[in-house]
Amino acid sequence: MTHWKALAAAAEPPVPEDLLPDVIPALEKLEAALRVLEREVPPETLLWNGPEEQA
Amino acid sequence: MTIGEIGAALRGKKISVGELTEETLRRVAGANPRLNAFLTVTETAARARAALLDDELARGLDRGPLHGIPIAHKDNIFTRGVRTTSGSRIFENFVPDRDAEIVNRLNDAGANMIGKTGMHEFAYGITSNNPHFGAIRNPWDPECIPGGSSGGSAAAVAAGLIPLATGTDTGGSIRIPASFCGVVGLKPTYERVSRKGVMPLGLTLDHAGLLAGSVRDVAAGFSHVAKHSSGYVPAAHADLRGMRIGVPENFFVERIAPDVMLSFRAAVQTAAALGAHVTEIKLPDVEALNAVGRITQLSEVSALLARYVDRCSEIGRDVLVLVEQGRLIPAIDYLNAQRVRTVLARDFSKIWKHLDCLMTPATAITAPGIGETTVAFGSVTEDVRIAATRLARPFNVLGWPALALPCGFSDAGLPIGLQLVAPPQQEDSLLQVGAALEDAFGISGRRPTS
Repeated sequence: MTHWKALAAAAEPPVPEDLLPDVIPALEKLEAALRVLEREVPPETLLWNGPEEQA
Repeated sequence: MTIGEIGAALRGKKISVGELTEETLRRVAGANPRLNAFLTVTETAARARAALLDDELARGLDRGPLHGIPIAHKDNIFTRGVRTTSGSRIFENFVPDRDAEIVNRLNDAGANMIGKTGMHEFAYGITSNNPHFGAIRNPWDPECIPGGSSGGSAAAVAAGLIPLATGTDTGGSIRIPASFCGVVGLKPTYERVSRKGVMPLGLTLDHAGLLAGSVRDVAAGFSHVAKHSSGYVPAAHADLRGMRIGVPENFFVERIAPDVMLSFRAAVQTAAALGAHVTEIKLPDVEALNAVGRITQLSEVSALLARYVDRCSEIGRDVLVLVEQGRLIPAIDYLNAQRVRTVLARDFSKIWKHLDCLMTPATAITAPGIGETTVAFGSVTEDVRIAATRLARPFNVLGWPALALPCGFSDAGLPIGLQLVAPPQQEDSLLQVGAALEDAFGISGRRPTS
């Protein structure tokens, strides 16, 4: 999983330390959800391109 | 009064556009110190335009149902020569040199802008508790939020100050305030209403739309702002015979406040009594849609707002946290979220083989108090922002049209919202179902007493 704290420190400008307790937990949860979902995506899948495409 | 009633009074010469405008300005001046719904009131321009519109009517030039109707625009929608702040300190002095397409179309239809409505900062939140311009208050209970981000538009309509307002919806920002304020809000199909001249937020999630006091008033506005409009406005006494309505048996009925669930179940029974064929349906993974939606929104918004993080003292903390989160999401994750979105959209679209419309609660809760950050569902505590958005956001991710309308009131006297969802481009179905239900509920004319 991503080392969000290191990423936050390396950002330009860095993410202020005092925001990290609010910034990181949501990213951890979203990353965990995405890792599961992206495993199921067929390799030929393209980017979403509007609602008509799938209608 | 509805748009139809105002129009009849204008054409029957019971009132002029000038008198209507003066009365509207008087009521806005009286209510705004309490509600903070308007950021800017354009009284001089409104009076001048009223005179023009009266002159047109006197010469037999009638632009149609919106001729002379007072309207307000959310403050992230460009209005030529009128400051457009997006609810932010950073844009507090921004004055566009052109009107947004949605404003142009409503102007051409004869609407008369009264002013610009307040909103959550950058449209990036659901409380409309704006750190720069003050909290917008819910007309049903001024200690409660109106919802957001189109909180000023919803509060102004709910208080009866104007019959129609514009809004934008990236993760529920039209439907959530409509639900909390007891008004009707339409988020059309993705790109059905032009976003030209609307300050972008979520590049593939943003929708421009309308809020009004009734479904037919929303329809009257939509017929002018929609691309490829059919001009459809529901007839009186619409029924739902032959309409196939799906009621989710998962996600949309979980973690719902008891009084919201009670009103929702009653609404489902009303639909069946009006002749709809109501079936329960198990939807694909809605949690996944919401996760994809949040990754998408965080990334897209930060692509636009990250340039301002060095001005963090001018940005509210809640917004700043979201912008910082978005700055850290890798491009690969954003792109794979869009590929997951494609797969999910394909799965979800299959439901329309058997349905014309979905019916869900609009929000899991009624309007929370100003400053409340969590809400409890039994032993489970949830962030207010998640509780407010989780039933709305999925339809931004899918780009499907969705309509919120009031279906009841809580024990505390706060409005409860119902959400109707249709396949892409089928807004007319939404409006038909919404109007029939609205007639049956019989509460759309109810307004706060204070």
